[in-house]
Amino acid sequence: MASTACFMIVSKHDIPIYEAEVGTVPKKEDAAHQHQFILHAALDIVQDVAWTTSAMFLKGVDRFDDLVVSVYVTAGHTRLMLLHDSRNDDGIKSFFQEVHELYIKTILNPLYLPGSRITSSHFDTKVRALARKHM
Amino acid sequence: MVDPANTTLGRMLLDQITPAVMVLRTPLVEESCRRNGLSFIEMLNPFCYFNNIDGTVHEALSAELWNWVAKERLKQAITDAGDKDISDLCSDPPEIRNAVTTSELEFVPSWFQIFNKELVDTVSFSDHEAFDHPVACLVAVSSKDIDPIDKFVDLFNTNQLPSLLNDGAMDPKILKYFLLVHDNDTGMLEKATSILTEMRRTFGVKDCRLLCINSSLDGLEEHQENPWADYVRKFLKFDIYYFLLASLIVKLAGIQKNHTSHKQQFVGFLNMDDIGELRTTVQDLSSKHIIPHMELKIRVLNQQVSVTRKGFRNQIKNLWWRKGKEDAPDEHNGPTYTFSSIESQIRVLGDYAFMLQDYELALSNYRLISTDYKLDKAWTRFAGVQEMMGLCYFMLDQSRKDAEYCMENAFRTYLKVPSGMRNATRCGLWWAEMLKARSQYKDAAGVYFRISGEEPLHSAVMLEQASYCYLLSTPIMLRKYGFHLVLSGDLYQKCGQIKHAIRTYKGALSVFKGSAWVHIRDHVHFHIGKWYAFLGIFGEAVKHMLQILACSHQPRATQELFLRGFFQVIQETGKTFEIFRLQLPLINFPLTKVVFEDHRTFASPAAANIEESLWQSLEEDMIPSLSVIRTNWLESQPKVIPKNYKESNVCVSGESIKVDVSFKNPLQIPLSISNVSLMCEYSAESNGTESDSSSTLIDYQNALEMRAVSTSGDESLDASFFTLSEVDILMQGGETISVQLRVTPKVEGTLKVVGVRWKLSGSVVGVCDFDSDVVRKKVKGKRKPKQSIKGILKFLVIKNLPRLHGVIHDLPKTVYEGDIRCLTLEIRNPSKISVKSLKLRVSHPRFINIADQEVIKQEFPTCLEKQADSQNSTYLDTPKDTNSIFVFPETEPICWEKPLVWPLWFRAAVAGNVSLYITIYYEMEDKSTLIIYRTLRMYYNLKVRFKKKYELIVAVFKAVSAACNSLEYLRVLPSLEVTFQLSPCPSRLHEFLVRMDIINRTTSESFQVNQLSCVGYQWELTILQSTDSGFPSDVLMAGQALSCFFKLKTRVTGEDNVSSLSTSGRADVKLCARDSKRLYDTSISPFNIFHHHEKVHQKRPDQDHENTVDFILITESQRDRDPEVSRSKEIFTYYTCHCRIARTTPISWLMNGPQIVRHDFSAAICEINLKITVHNSSEDNVSVRFTTHDSTPINAVSNSASISGNELGWYDISRSGDIKGASDVMGTRAGKTILPESVSPFIWSGSTSTRFNLDQLSSIEVPLQICVFSPGTYDLSNYSLHWNLLPAGGNGVTENESRVSSGTCQGHSYHITVLQKD
Repeated sequence: MASTACFMIVSKHDIPIYEAEVGTVPKKEDAAHQHQFILHAALDIVQDVAWTTSAMFLKGVDRFDDLVVSVYVTAGHTRLMLLHDSRNDDGIKSFFQEVHELYIKTILNPLYLPGSRITSSHFDTKVRALARKHM
Repeated sequence: MVDPANTTLGRMLLDQITPAVMVLRTPLVEESCRRNGLSFIEMLNPFCYFNNIDGTVHEALSAELWNWVAKERLKQAITDAGDKDISDLCSDPPEIRNAVTTSELEFVPSWFQIFNKELVDTVSFSDHEAFDHPVACLVAVSSKDIDPIDKFVDLFNTNQLPSLLNDGAMDPKILKYFLLVHDNDTGMLEKATSILTEMRRTFGVKDCRLLCINSSLDGLEEHQENPWADYVRKFLKFDIYYFLLASLIVKLAGIQKNHTSHKQQFVGFLNMDDIGELRTTVQDLSSKHIIPHMELKIRVLNQQVSVTRKGFRNQIKNLWWRKGKEDAPDEHNGPTYTFSSIESQIRVLGDYAFMLQDYELALSNYRLISTDYKLDKAWTRFAGVQEMMGLCYFMLDQSRKDAEYCMENAFRTYLKVPSGMRNATRCGLWWAEMLKARSQYKDAAGVYFRISGEEPLHSAVMLEQASYCYLLSTPIMLRKYGFHLVLSGDLYQKCGQIKHAIRTYKGALSVFKGSAWVHIRDHVHFHIGKWYAFLGIFGEAVKHMLQILACSHQPRATQELFLRGFFQVIQETGKTFEIFRLQLPLINFPLTKVVFEDHRTFASPAAANIEESLWQSLEEDMIPSLSVIRTNWLESQPKVIPKNYKESNVCVSGESIKVDVSFKNPLQIPLSISNVSLMCEYSAESNGTESDSSSTLIDYQNALEMRAVSTSGDESLDASFFTLSEVDILMQGGETISVQLRVTPKVEGTLKVVGVRWKLSGSVVGVCDFDSDVVRKKVKGKRKPKQSIKGILKFLVIKNLPRLHGVIHDLPKTVYEGDIRCLTLEIRNPSKISVKSLKLRVSHPRFINIADQEVIKQEFPTCLEKQADSQNSTYLDTPKDTNSIFVFPETEPICWEKPLVWPLWFRAAVAGNVSLYITIYYEMEDKSTLIIYRTLRMYYNLKVRFKKKYELIVAVFKAVSAACNSLEYLRVLPSLEVTFQLSPCPSRLHEFLVRMDIINRTTSESFQVNQLSCVGYQWELTILQSTDSGFPSDVLMAGQALSCFFKLKTRVTGEDNVSSLSTSGRADVKLCARDSKRLYDTSISPFNIFHHHEKVHQKRPDQDHENTVDFILITESQRDRDPEVSRSKEIFTYYTCHCRIARTTPISWLMNGPQIVRHDFSAAICEINLKITVHNSSEDNVSVRFTTHDSTPINAVSNSASISGNELGWYDISRSGDIKGASDVMGTRAGKTILPESVSPFIWSGSTSTRFNLDQLSSIEVPLQICVFSPGTYDLSNYSLHWNLLPAGGNGVTENESRVSSGTCQGHSYHITVLQKD
């Protein structure tokens, strides 16, 4: 399990629609904005890299100090972003794939407006469980 | 590709990697120069550059001193730059996306290059590279010095020389140039000349020179062209040079511009000749000495190198020789090389070649030496060489890959070496510049990021440079740009460079503004705000702090931090700010409700909450139609018609307008809000020309974001026109509070509610304008109101009008279902103006009804009792339409003192959720106002609450008293459950059995069953039990059930019955044993009124025929223990309407005939005449076929039919039981005992089948005859009736598909006994 991990879903308009700290290390005070900064900056890299490959999983597209950003770009250009310090690439990949499935289920919900914030607690618990399982 | 020499890096290298000259001078030289305000070096400086020789003057200092000086200078450079920028600190940065398209220079601060140069300078004079080593030494001695020749020697021999020269890393035999500085002002020229000749003798002719300065005698020399000013121009043009010097020059330039006398003091002692001499001196030094010397040295070294190292043999030898040294200790710097070693010489050769721009030669030498250094593990030197190789590649514009590879290699190697960071920085800077020159901005940014080391200030600058690289890269990387700016801002802040920090953060803000990444936005705004406050720029600080106040997404601790920071800033300003659209607390739009009273007045706040359409539907018949009003007041008041009357609302002065504003606390921490009040504008003109006092309020829409509060003079002015209510609230975290704010206009005119203002924590005043764009947009999104919010909040104030208050007294606390009471309605008029034509209407007449006014004088239950003389009772079968409006008699217009009291009948009709609306209409006596009528709306709510499993339905009658505004609860409890069941009497056609079941549903109450009445002329009601024995139990205890039976008889028309009850149209049965009880007269009010409403209410759609009966059960409560109830008894009534007989067939019949016949069978067979009367009780025409069966197959058929029809659980037990039990006694009926083929003991005579039609509700008699052959008892049940509904008008069948249209009925058993006549 990663000691620091911040998971975030960014809509295609670059608006964060879901975020969760899934690391084991107790959250530091300034971690929230620091993680947002790193992930936000990584979007610049993702926008370049995403069109150069057909793969959805972009492993380690950006890094800051010892934190690595891995991204999974869905077909609708929603980006699942994970900031992590572990090297468990396979785990991260399967984590992304399963979260992607969850996300698809969420957008199938007729009451969910695509691109709006995901507030479902069920989704939240599922994501956290997946993070525990894979990382 | 541009010429590498013209790129930034190229210019930097040409500038940087140049031959260095060491300057040694005596204090006296310095002193003479000081007279011009310049040091010796400074004096020379412009010419060095100006003459464009590649010579830079270096002050020779020890390395340690250098470090310290460098650090200080760096710091100084940044601070100065920061101060310079403070002017535009408050201005907004240009829009980032536009700026990108403009040129690079405008955006990137210019001092970066200066800073970078400073940084590069910090690592000069290192021993592993030679280009900083002085190629010449300028020794200057003043002519005033005593024994100048010795001084020259002394200067060079003292240990002031740099350590490099002393420890052997550098060739001490450098070119020396001896300069005698002569101050014309003080010394004699002759003396100087003599010294010069002596110098020439001692040091050689070529290397000595005399420099005369300060030739101007009076010190007032004017210069047309100041070389230092030129220098300033140059500086500005090229934008690069020593910063310190630059600042000095700037100072000079400024002075010169002002033409002050100081200028002459500074430069006055140098005349044109002196300057010319300075120029020639430096020119001479460079062109005649330094460059030839270097060229010579290159030639010598090159020859030496090619002898020892070039060629195959030398290479093999070298390789072998190096191998032998592998055992050498692994030091980081490898072995020390003296200036005489071949490695050093190669390096010097390379550097000299580089300086003289022979890059090919330099590169080949560097290549040669780099492998050696690598083998020797002299890492610093190796890195240095790699670095130079990279630069050579760049300057040659060759193989980019190699250049980058070399730089990377050098950078890495520097980092490996301890204390190599500074060198790495320089290498990185060059590398980054190189990448930038090739527009690889992204990579350059990466390099900048890598060289941001541990020292925060240095890192900050590097990160900032990295951010600009991101900005310039294609595609543009704005997010990276923002992030790196923030990173560098943090570091700036760490080392106290707040202004720089603000500058970078503001740059970042242009990226993050309006971003949905809330943590980022909050962080940036909060820090900018904090830093502005630190600098004392509070206006800006507050502006930024405001952005982060509504941070509901943040954890509680952060929210507290933000709020505390905000208040701290506010406190430091020492002023009370008024902030437009303060985010704390949020106001929910649209406004929930605006309550004002024009012609509508409300008795209670609850009444005001009811939807307007409900009231309108209730009032539609009462109020005069709109057009009528118009014409009326047009006629009566032709002078002033406000044009905007249509748009604005009308309110009455002295009556408050209530606006419900709902505040939401977005934070998790409690907020204290005080002085919440409305903001209003008042103008005396009613036709809306915005004038007089309204102008005192400032138009908030004009982007007035914030202002310091002045003493509120305008409010005191307005106070005479209207009064405002102020509310203080304390909001818990996340709470939403709705506040009712009031404004009471005092004078006629136009009042407009503009907004709301409040005070947050006693220090910040928030203002919200209802009419602002944000609000309007939101309102538009929700619904499309006919009136805009502007219209809703604009009021036309008219003069005082009477306003009635109404209240219903004696509302009971607890009541059981069915309870009938008499209540009183009291209407008061507090004003002196009287009103007239009162009308009243109730929404639910089942519950409340208007009583006659006399009732109030009578005692309640007794007045309902039946009077002795029956003529008193005026019978009304359909009582007056109480659903319509009740008009109060015009006897007295109610005045100020005397309230109008009117009785009301109340009956708790049902334990259900019922809202009662009562509206009272009245007109003004005074016709001169806009409003000529008003309505008083009263509202009472009945709520049902279910408790437990037991169906204890608790109805809460919530009545809000208008007088005291307190809530009264009235519980309506279920009491008795009454059901009636009617079944036809088998023996009589026009009689019915009534079974009444009563269950007491209460928990503790007992009731006395008093009377049962049925309504209608055609009925007679009698109890089946004998009244002598009394009713089984006339008191019904709690939970008790009771059934009793009655006989209901249709009164045959025409027959004059003896019943005395006929006049009232009611048939009453007394169920109470006590004789003292009198019957209630159910034909009078309120029984008849409520009966009417109940009948209407209980009507079911399929019951439209008259053949139903209504019952009224009247009980009294047996409550003795309730002392608070003053009345002796309570009356409960239960109405059960539209009871009908439970039937399965539309027809009923009755066999008529003799029971016992005596006949002499010996004479003849016995013929018996019978009659069957068939009655059609349905509303359709029926065709009936009467069929007789001589044999008795009926039983078999009916048995099988009944079995097959009732297979699913129900079985006709009674019939099979009958067969067993009755067969022994009667012996004639049981089908099983009689064989089918056996002859029947009697036969029907006449036709076996008769068909006839029956009209609705009619009867027919059919004659029958049987023949009996032997005496005995016979059961004449072997006949059947088939009925068929005839469609009445063709549509009878289609409208009732579900109804059974035909059927067969078996005959009833009719026993006839035939005896042998003797």
